[in-house]
Amino acid sequence: MRFWRVIEPYIGFLLQGFALTIAACLLAIAGAVLLGALTASMRSSGNGLVRGFANAYGDLFRNVPFLVQLFFFFYGLPELGIYVGAFETGVIAMSIAGGAFVSDVILSGILTVDAGVIDAAKVSGLSRVKIFTRIVLPIAMRVSVRPMGSVLINLVLTSSILSTITVNELTGAAKIVAATTFKPFEVYAVLLVLYASLTTLLSFAISAVHHRLNRFMTEG
Amino acid sequence: MIVAENVEKRFGETLVLKRVNLRVEPGEVVTILGASGSGKSTLIRCINGLETLSGGKITVDGHDVSTKTGLVAARRASATVFQLFNLYPHMTALQNITLAPIEVLKLPKAEAEARARALLDRVGLSAQADAYPQQLSGGQRQRVGICRALAMQPRYLLLDEVTSALDPEMTGDVLRILAALAADGTTMVFVTHEIEFARHISNRIVFLEQGELIVDLPTAQFFAEDGGLAVPRIRQFLSKMKKD
Ligand SMILES: Nc1ncnc2c1ncn2[C@@H]1O[C@H](COP(=O)(O)OP(=O)(O)O)[C@@H](O)[C@H]1O
Ligand SMILES: [Mg+2]
Repeated sequence: MRFWRVIEPYIGFLLQGFALTIAACLLAIAGAVLLGALTASMRSSGNGLVRGFANAYGDLFRNVPFLVQLFFFFYGLPELGIYVGAFETGVIAMSIAGGAFVSDVILSGILTVDAGVIDAAKVSGLSRVKIFTRIVLPIAMRVSVRPMGSVLINLVLTSSILSTITVNELTGAAKIVAATTFKPFEVYAVLLVLYASLTTLLSFAISAVHHRLNRFMTEG
Repeated sequence: MIVAENVEKRFGETLVLKRVNLRVEPGEVVTILGASGSGKSTLIRCINGLETLSGGKITVDGHDVSTKTGLVAARRASATVFQLFNLYPHMTALQNITLAPIEVLKLPKAEAEARARALLDRVGLSAQADAYPQQLSGGQRQRVGICRALAMQPRYLLLDEVTSALDPEMTGDVLRILAALAADGTTMVFVTHEIEFARHISNRIVFLEQGELIVDLPTAQFFAEDGGLAVPRIRQFLSKMKKD
C-alpha cells in the first residue's frame, strides 16, 4: 500500500497533533458552555446594565472573524503583560468566541421556559442562582442542546485555525508533514477521517444528552 | 397574620386592585370570590411577592413583602398552589417536593424525602413518587403541587383556582384533600369558583368587584338574605355560578 508507506513514518506525529486538537476542543467546549450559560443568564437578567454588557460581548465576538480574534489575543495579550502559551491562548480565544454563540442558543431555550414554573420556584424561596441552575437552565437545555451541538461542532472545526499561531494541533502537524513529504493528498486524507470521526463522536454525545434531558417530556 | 392595607396594583394605566384591605388570622380559611378579571389572582400574587405593589402595604406575620428581607421571610411563611400546577417538568414528583426543603430549609436529603413520601401517601400518590409530571394526570399533578406547598410547612397556604383546570372527578379528589387540611386548622387564602365547597370550608368570604373588595363577611352572613345576598352584584354572581 503506497498510501500507508507515505503516512506510516508520520502517524505518531499526526496522532500527537490529534491529541492536542482533542485537548483544545474539550477545554474550549467546557469554557464555551460555561461562558455561554453565564452570558445567557446575564442576557435574560432584569438589570439593563448587565443585559447590555452581555449583549455587547455576544455581538462583538459573533461579528468578528475568528482568525482576527485569535491574532488579537495572541499578539494583544503580551502587550497587556499577560504571557500564556499559544495553546492556552487558542483555548481562551475558542472559549470566548464559542461562548458568544452558545449564549445565543441557551438564551432562546431560556425564553421557552414557562413563566409559571419560575413563579413556583420564586415563591418557594429559592435564590436567583438556584432558580437559574436548578430550574431554568436544565429546562432550557432540553431545547438548546441540539442547536448547541451545531455550535460546538463548528468550534471543533474552528480549532484548525490554531495552527496559524504555532500550535501544532492536527492541522498544524499535517502542514508540517505535507511540507516534508510533498504528499499533501495522503496527509489531508488522514485529516478528513480524523476530523470527521471527532465531530461524529461529538454529535453522538449531543444526541445522548438530548435524549437524557428529554426523557418523559413529550410536550412543553 | 396576613394584613393587606390599602393595596393598589396598576398594570400600565389600569388600576387592577383599588385600596384593598384584608386580614387573615392564623387558623382561618378565607375565600376570595369575584368574576373573572376582578383581580383575585393579582391579589394572591401581591401577597406572595410575584407582583410589586403600586400602593399600600402587605405584611405576612409582620414581614413587609415590599422589602427584600421582608419578602424572604414572608415567602418562608406562606406557600402557593397554582391553577396550572407549575410543576418542574424535568423533576420527578419526589424531586419537585424535596427541592425547596433541601435548598431553602436545608433539610438533609433523606429527611426531606421521608417527609415528601409521607405527604404523597396522604394524597394517595405513594406509587407516583418517581413519576415525571408528564406521566401524571391533571388531578395527580395538582396533588403533587399541594404536597410541594405543604413540604415547606407554611403557616399560610395560598390557593389560586387550584381545581379550575381539572375534570369534575379529579376536582373532587383535590377538594377532599383541601377539606382535610382546613379541618386540621391550616390557614388558607382560597380563590375558587367552587361556591358550595367554599361555603363548606370557609370562615370568611370576601368579594372582589373590578379590583375593589366590596364585601368581607363571615361565611354564614355572606350567604344570608340580609347579608351578602342583599348586594345585587353578589346575588347576580352567585346565581350565574349556579347555572354554570
Ligand atoms: N401581567 C399583567 N399585565 C397586564 N394586565 C394584567 C396582568 N395580570 C393581570 N392583568 C389584568 O388585571 C385584571 C385582573 O386580573 P386577575 O387578577 O388575573 O383576575 P382574576 O384572577 O380575578 O380573574 C385583568 O383585567 C387582567 O387582564
Ligand atoms: Mg385568576
